[in-house]
Amino acid sequence: MNETRRGRIWTQIGRRSLGTPVTVAHVCAAAVPGVGVDGAGVTVMVSTTVRDTVHATDRVAGELEEWQLTFGQGPCVDAFAEDGPVLIIDLDAPIHLARWPVFTPAALRSGARAVFALPLQVGAIRLGVLDLYRARPGPLSDDQLADALAFADAAGMLLLEGAGGEPPDSAELAWQRDDPTSHHAEVHQATGMILAQLGISAEAAFARLRAYAYANDRRLGNVAADVVGRRLRFDDNRGEEGERS
Amino acid sequence: MSERLVAEAFVELADTLVDEFDVVDFLHQVTVRCAQLLDVAAAGVLLTDQRGALRVVAASTEETRLLELLQQQTDQGPCPECFHTGRPIAIADLATVTDRWPRFVAAARSAGFASVHALPMRLRTDVIGALNLFDTRPGALTDDTIRLGQALADVATIGLLQARAIRERETLAEQLQTALTSRVIIEQAKGVIAERRQLDMDQSFTLLRGTARTTNRRLSELARAVVDGSETV
Repeated sequence: MNETRRGRIWTQIGRRSLGTPVTVAHVCAAAVPGVGVDGAGVTVMVSTTVRDTVHATDRVAGELEEWQLTFGQGPCVDAFAEDGPVLIIDLDAPIHLARWPVFTPAALRSGARAVFALPLQVGAIRLGVLDLYRARPGPLSDDQLADALAFADAAGMLLLEGAGGEPPDSAELAWQRDDPTSHHAEVHQATGMILAQLGISAEAAFARLRAYAYANDRRLGNVAADVVGRRLRFDDNRGEEGERS
Repeated sequence: MSERLVAEAFVELADTLVDEFDVVDFLHQVTVRCAQLLDVAAAGVLLTDQRGALRVVAASTEETRLLELLQQQTDQGPCPECFHTGRPIAIADLATVTDRWPRFVAAARSAGFASVHALPMRLRTDVIGALNLFDTRPGALTDDTIRLGQALADVATIGLLQARAIRERETLAEQLQTALTSRVIIEQAKGVIAERRQLDMDQSFTLLRGTARTTNRRLSELARAVVDGSETV
């Protein structure tokens, strides 16, 4: 990710939170003017089957989330199932009525014409979906799409950190946000290894990896390289993660 | 190089472009064929993350050293330059460009490489990524080899688009993100297999891919099942 874009996005989010712990609501509020859409909503996966709307900026965004939860169809449902964004520039095109026969008329009646659903996920760790809508049809520009993806990254990071229901620690969040190694292949490989060592979910394994890096004030990529290089294991019986001698 | 080998490669790649094929698996095949046909030591594909950086999506070997070298080019190196200018980059001798990309050159040379090429992956007016070629010998590739390399880069682009019939720009954006997410799922699955089987990452990938092939599954689907714990490899 482009560092200036990421910095700019977090500054916009920060202006919404005004010093209080950042939440998904702040990301949604900042994304509306930031991307240039009329509304935003986030649906979070409580479990692999249970979905919950966490925040919507207005009535239309709220109804879009509600229709998808109720009918089990729509861009957000597909974005989640297909591991990628679903970008609908005009919901009124016949192809979308065929794709989502119940959702599409309901969404149009609610007042949405363009819908952009962006999954919040880290590989197999699926956290939820950020939905953006516009009352008028039309595409996102390349720059708007880049910003929308960056807002989705921010929302995903918040959901990862706040998985226990607690608002995320802002110091830890800032520390992670600025880590240039967080996208390295080893980070994902190490997540898989820790998952197998501890018999836990990918999400929990990723959380352990990040917590270890934060507690030891190290880059995520460097800790991950130690795990992949088999110099660090997470299943030592001492109850703490241990270096191998 | 033999014309028969080239023809075989293109037939094999075209055969893959059927319903329900796996994008990352396909791009992996392209990189393997690149190394073979262009007679270079290693090849990799980087795609735009659409936020201003490049990400690794496939490589001819999954050795950590090669992946590290590819991922070092998030925003600096021959691939980003190729991506931003839309033009091929040829570095016949890495020793001559140490000032241009100090970190990348040091890493590439310590991995044993002497020359690097980068070819753009384009769709109409968009550049969506780059094909990266590494060799242990210095020297520029011949024009014929570059042309063949560019043809393979074009095939890689077509494959990416083919995964879902590309109707419009939006679908390209969707597909790029899906491919990058698939790649992350595969990395996570490699980790699970490496730990359970005590294999290195390259062996884990080979086992994962081999199992997907023999059981007729899409690579990314099987990878997800391995990470979710619903299947073991």
